Amino acid sequence: MKFQKRTWSSLFIIALLLLLSACSGSDEGSTGKENSGDSDEASTQKITIFQSKVEISDQLEALAKEYTTETGVEVEVWGTTGDDYFEQLQIRLNSDQGPSIFSLQNVTEAEKMKSYVADLSSEAYAKDIAPGMELKVEDKIVGVPYGVEGFGLVYNKDLVKPEDVADYESFVSTLEKLKAEDITGLGLSKEAYFLIGHISNYPFSLQSDHYEFIDKLTSGDVTMAETKEFQEFGKFMEAIKANTPSPLDVTYDKEVGDFAAGKSAMIHQGNWAYGMLADFDVDFEVGMLPFPLNGTDKLAVGVGNNWAVNGKKDEAETKAAKDFLNWMFTSETGHRYIVEEFGFVPALTTIEANDLDPLSQDVLNASNSGQTIPWAQNYYPANIVPNDFAPKAEEFFLSKDMTGEEFIENLDDAWKNAVK
Amino acid sequence: MQNKNNKGWYLLFTAPLFIIFLTVVVIPFVIGIYYSFFKWDGIGANPKVFVGFDNFIKLFGDTRFLESTWKTTLFTILAVISVNIVGLVFALLVTSKLRTSNAARTMVFMPYLIGGLILGYIWQFIFLDVFTLIGEVTGLENVFFNWLIDMDFALYALVFVFTWQMAGYIMIIYIAGIQSIPNDVMEASMIDGASWWQRLKNITFPLLMPAFTISLFLTLSSAFKIYDVNLSLTGGGPANSTEMFAMNIYNEIFGYGNYGYGQAKAIIFFLIVAAITLTQVYITKKREVEL
Repeated sequence: MKFQKRTWSSLFIIALLLLLSACSGSDEGSTGKENSGDSDEASTQKITIFQSKVEISDQLEALAKEYTTETGVEVEVWGTTGDDYFEQLQIRLNSDQGPSIFSLQNVTEAEKMKSYVADLSSEAYAKDIAPGMELKVEDKIVGVPYGVEGFGLVYNKDLVKPEDVADYESFVSTLEKLKAEDITGLGLSKEAYFLIGHISNYPFSLQSDHYEFIDKLTSGDVTMAETKEFQEFGKFMEAIKANTPSPLDVTYDKEVGDFAAGKSAMIHQGNWAYGMLADFDVDFEVGMLPFPLNGTDKLAVGVGNNWAVNGKKDEAETKAAKDFLNWMFTSETGHRYIVEEFGFVPALTTIEANDLDPLSQDVLNASNSGQTIPWAQNYYPANIVPNDFAPKAEEFFLSKDMTGEEFIENLDDAWKNAVK
Repeated sequence: MQNKNNKGWYLLFTAPLFIIFLTVVVIPFVIGIYYSFFKWDGIGANPKVFVGFDNFIKLFGDTRFLESTWKTTLFTILAVISVNIVGLVFALLVTSKLRTSNAARTMVFMPYLIGGLILGYIWQFIFLDVFTLIGEVTGLENVFFNWLIDMDFALYALVFVFTWQMAGYIMIIYIAGIQSIPNDVMEASMIDGASWWQRLKNITFPLLMPAFTISLFLTLSSAFKIYDVNLSLTGGGPANSTEMFAMNIYNEIFGYGNYGYGQAKAIIFFLIVAAITLTQVYITKKREVEL
């Protein structure tokens, strides 16, 4: 009997321990929040930021530290890499472990997250956002741009002259000439956005009204295959396939690395790639040229990412998150970080940008002179690039005899699948 | 008295495992069945719409899903065959009078200790750099090229890496089986003049049947459920040609945001895996020989 008693008592103790540890865990959490309300608000508050740009993780953490020393509010930065940011965000939000500040790429994502995003319209900096660049859902500003970004043909000024890639003919002859010299004319890489996501933007954004065009495409009133810009885009893709090595073997790192080493003359990238080029210490001048679809001479400029605040958190945390953004967009330290450390082209008119890197300078010049085409990709159906476009593009680059025309038809199918 | 006492101890040690199993397997599974009847995008605050069996009916018209079913089946057949052959051959080798048998055992088992994700990334590098290099040097560019960017070969690459990973583990099971075969039976057959092949066919294989049951079960179920190697080696590409079951479900849920529909796929997936493995165990069990 004695033995049995001991067994049961040990069972009981273990159960008790489990219970206690569970309780104490949640206790800490709730008292932490309560304290923040009545006593010293700043000293116990903690906010979390979940962001997707690998390029700025270290810098953002440094900024968070500065904020903590200045105000006492603890800021935790979570990072992630690559294409599955939105999925990870979804998982965290569903398990009630969502961040206080997160990023949204575009309207489609913002619509999906409608029930989470906090209204930022009344914040002090909201009126300073460059016109048309704010992220809105139902007329409320819910996202502030990280910065404006632009992409196009990042080129080596020793190897390519702007007039070499002014239209289809010169583009193709340049690729052929470079191929003969054993230099990659145009480098793409295998990540979904760098393979097809960005480059597919051109035929969309050259439409007179890309919102209307995309709506029509979704409803089936038009197809890409019958639209002039897309037919031309197919020809461009054919020329790229014929004259450059397969991008499926190439990662972003290799793409930029090859360019820095002079092995490729142009890469299709944006001003974000400069961070890596700076690490490589390139010994030639770089610049950004428009992708000459239909002979256009405009860069694609838009917003890649927006800061959004989680409105489903308790009030104190939401407020602390708003305070952090406010500080970042209005304080000198914040401005310095946005421009110098993150290397962003600021999207707020109050932030002055001096000493931009050459790629960002090209983007800013284009944006100032109005020589831009929009990012129609921000209005694509959610996740269409990794889910539907990328497999079709892989197929295109793998099968030697697929024509650009067939490729565009495949993109039509991909679109139908994404909106069904 | 003694018995009752033991029960307490049993309870004590099974309770934690039971709780863990309940919370991470049973409860999510039941909730998953529940969700499979809804149309829902997986975002907590958004509405769930009850659609009954619509999700399950939709499955039969989903070409991408059917394609991945076929690919998974093909992969499983190839993988089960190759893993078991390689595992068995290694087991026979290292139980024979090989001088390096202990070292060989360790070496062959080693890949199993490396996680599938890391293994996939390592092999990605091997296919990309080493294979292309070998191809250039030897001129056998039809065999040695980057398999991962060929729509047919990518699947074989997956089988190859999976075999590399699993064979050592399966070998251990076969070794245990081989060692449990009584020596006197072998000796008697040798005295009777049976050849190596006759001994293998008439004694070793029938007596190995229990090991076959376990090995086939393990390879079948893990090949069907493969995800980690799939993700790190090919990521489902190129052009979705190696998108296995588990990855298709993941993409449906998180890529397209169809939580309910993806759950329906997962339920079907569970039923298929359960049906196939149970059938296999039933068949091979019947052929086991009692000594």
